[in-house]
Amino acid sequence: MEALLNRGIKQIIDEHAEVGPILEAYGIGCVPCSVGTCLLKDIVDIHGLTAVQEQELMTKIAKEVYPDRDIVIPLREDTAPAQGGELTYSPPIKKLVDEHAWIKRLLAQIPAVIEKLDLSSESDRRLVRDMLDFIRNYADRFHHAKEEDILFKYFDENLDILQVMFTDHESGRAHVRAIAEAVETQDRAVVCEHLTAYRELLTEHIKKEDEILYPWMDKELSDSQIGQMFSAFADVDVAFGDGPAKHIAFIETLEAASS
Amino acid sequence: MECGCPGSKMMDRRDEDSGDDPTVAVKSQLRQWPIQLHLISPEAPYYAGADVLLTADCVAYAMGGYHSEYLKGKSIAIACPKLDAEQTIYATKIQSWFEDAKINTLTVLIMEVPCCGGLLHLAKQALAASSRKVPLKAIVVGLDGEVRSEDWVTA
Repeated sequence: MEALLNRGIKQIIDEHAEVGPILEAYGIGCVPCSVGTCLLKDIVDIHGLTAVQEQELMTKIAKEVYPDRDIVIPLREDTAPAQGGELTYSPPIKKLVDEHAWIKRLLAQIPAVIEKLDLSSESDRRLVRDMLDFIRNYADRFHHAKEEDILFKYFDENLDILQVMFTDHESGRAHVRAIAEAVETQDRAVVCEHLTAYRELLTEHIKKEDEILYPWMDKELSDSQIGQMFSAFADVDVAFGDGPAKHIAFIETLEAASS
Repeated sequence: MECGCPGSKMMDRRDEDSGDDPTVAVKSQLRQWPIQLHLISPEAPYYAGADVLLTADCVAYAMGGYHSEYLKGKSIAIACPKLDAEQTIYATKIQSWFEDAKINTLTVLIMEVPCCGGLLHLAKQALAASSRKVPLKAIVVGLDGEVRSEDWVTA
């Protein structure tokens, strides 16, 4: 069983497809993950299951992987309560979740933008450029900078879960570059393809952070670290001045135009 | 004497086993004086940039692990929101922690009795009035010394 716990989750799911739905039944959505290098033991640990839930989950996975063996999973001694109900966050982490809400509002507009997109029109090309400006400056420089330059620095950046987040950020930047080039050549198909891919990537990415990564980080950080991070985030907010407010106003204008 | 106030209701737990070895010495984690909120100066050096614990008077008597689990590494002030006079001074001093001492965090430790909520209310008021924001945590302690809840709160 120890060997199984130390294997990458994508490898396990590739070899035993039924493990994916088993994990999903416990709110662990590894199947659509873009990287999947996390070890099974880390995934079980980070999702904050109760001891009983963890025992049930591991028993089901063991039966799937080792159908010929009669493996008994012991009940973990630690009986930490499961994360249930509404998620709560420390003040700095809540700030990041609130910023996610604005990014999700942009993502929600992408299907409507794609449907009517006419790149021969200067106004539509400007609309896409404005969306890219939001993604580059609000979602990436302002928000991801807080994550990568401040929050993630409190943890071992070689952790699989953080590597997945870095990979997602890089993938998002690659989509943005592709969209920016295709707008100038008025290649509608490429713009739509990468806007859709960006939407799918960020939707999953934000869900992973809000529901799994951030609650786990909040448990790991000391109160003193929470205070330091809150102060560092406030410094970032000051440094960006009224830039974020302008980007938020853009989202509100975009929503008003599509309603 | 029984009365309608949960904060004054009599409770006798002498028959319960304390469970501890009474010979073990526990080192104090107190690193400052004074500690009463009327007596402290918010600009005292031990508050500058500190993680501060604002503790209701009864808490340290109720919690077995108060020094090692909560006070260690923190600066402190104590107060009673039910009996202390001139509490507008308290609000001013708490606000001064945020703005002048630039404390890192404020944790308010109160008992579960309703009157103790006044101390958290004071802290929230001071934070709302402050030009500088700081993470504020509320920890509610039961009459048995166990932690009932521990949450970050907004002003």
